[in-house]
Amino acid sequence: MKALKIAPFVICILLVSQLNAQTGKVKMDIQYSYALPLGSFKNDVINNSSPRGVTGDILYNLNNKLSLGLGLGFQDFYQKYPRDVYKTGGNESTSAVLSNSVQIIPVLAKAEFYPLEGKKSPVQPYITAGAGLGITSFTQYLGEFGGTDNSASFMLQGGAGVIVPFSQRGTSGFKLGANYNMVSYKKNGFNNFDNLNVQAGLFFPLK
Amino acid sequence: MKSKHLVIAAFALSTATFFGCTKEPLNNLNQEETRIYVTNKDSTASFSSYKTYSISDSVAVLNNGSSFKDLSPSDQAYIDAVNKYMQQRGYTLVSKESNPDIGIDVNRIYNTATGYYSDYWDGYGGYWDPYYWGYGGYDYYIPSSYGIYQITEGAMSIDMLDLKNAGSKNSIDVIWNGLIRGEGIFNATNADSGVKALFDQSAYLQSN
Repeated sequence: MKALKIAPFVICILLVSQLNAQTGKVKMDIQYSYALPLGSFKNDVINNSSPRGVTGDILYNLNNKLSLGLGLGFQDFYQKYPRDVYKTGGNESTSAVLSNSVQIIPVLAKAEFYPLEGKKSPVQPYITAGAGLGITSFTQYLGEFGGTDNSASFMLQGGAGVIVPFSQRGTSGFKLGANYNMVSYKKNGFNNFDNLNVQAGLFFPLK
Repeated sequence: MKSKHLVIAAFALSTATFFGCTKEPLNNLNQEETRIYVTNKDSTASFSSYKTYSISDSVAVLNNGSSFKDLSPSDQAYIDAVNKYMQQRGYTLVSKESNPDIGIDVNRIYNTATGYYSDYWDGYGGYWDPYYWGYGGYDYYIPSSYGIYQITEGAMSIDMLDLKNAGSKNSIDVIWNGLIRGEGIFNATNADSGVKALFDQSAYLQSN
């Protein structure tokens, strides 16, 4: 099953890289991601931060300042709440340990803008925006009893960060940034899976 | 091209690593945490109006439509625990011939679900090509009885019956039910804590 889950990532990467590899203007980044739940996601579902995430972008350099492409990733949120009594029906009460588990896979069309590109600076800031789907898996257990809801929801992303090329005007280097992720999820009284993630990794040309 | 493939491999590997690091909720529960304690009550019942109770001396074992009476060590432990917490709440144990206000039944329930590994057999030729055995082009025949599995899940249930008003209502109303599910529930050492949890979340169970 894990192999099946990963397959769409690999297929997307292969497709995009095959389409643009000849131009020499395609770059990729792979970053570790640490995420903090926000708003009702934090208040109603999970308030633990998530150290289990990865992001990957494949971007086409439209010009010196603007890149467009595809953003993918994975973030796993989990929290186990101590035993408590929950109202589960009109006159029904249930004492249970509540476990919530949420996985988010963003599939986004992304744009990155480098305002200082072309100027001599060892550090280049960037701002980024993305829109697309947040593929979510929400599992909730009372004790060992529960189930999973899988869905795909609208997702928006906005962020900023810096890149530090290994050499002046180098095409590979370090990348560090943060994104605000708005993930719509309106089911069973829940509103969203909004989160803020900070990420760090490497970028490099695909060819 | 080599570098591109390395990048793809690196991304797939890192993604696989993080999928592997997903926190699986069921793997992070100890046995006690798997259990749930569910109570239901008749909102019209005035539990303080009942003073006496009687409890069955064995449990009903309900197993997919069949039933019989039994008294295993864990059954006895549940009966003892119910007596303990009923009396802590001020109710008096009497024999069933003494017209108790409440009758209490304890039940051990098994539910068995049957499934079939149909996906496994349907694709059998895909992972074991008959050519491998020297019979390329042949089909496999899988007897229909293969691949069937059963999962049995159990529960302990405690019912409180309104005997005080049965005559006037012409029915024996269940005024309270406690249900315990999860791992280790048929272990006698877990009976007391399970029944205690049911009573703890039912503060209205008081005879005065």
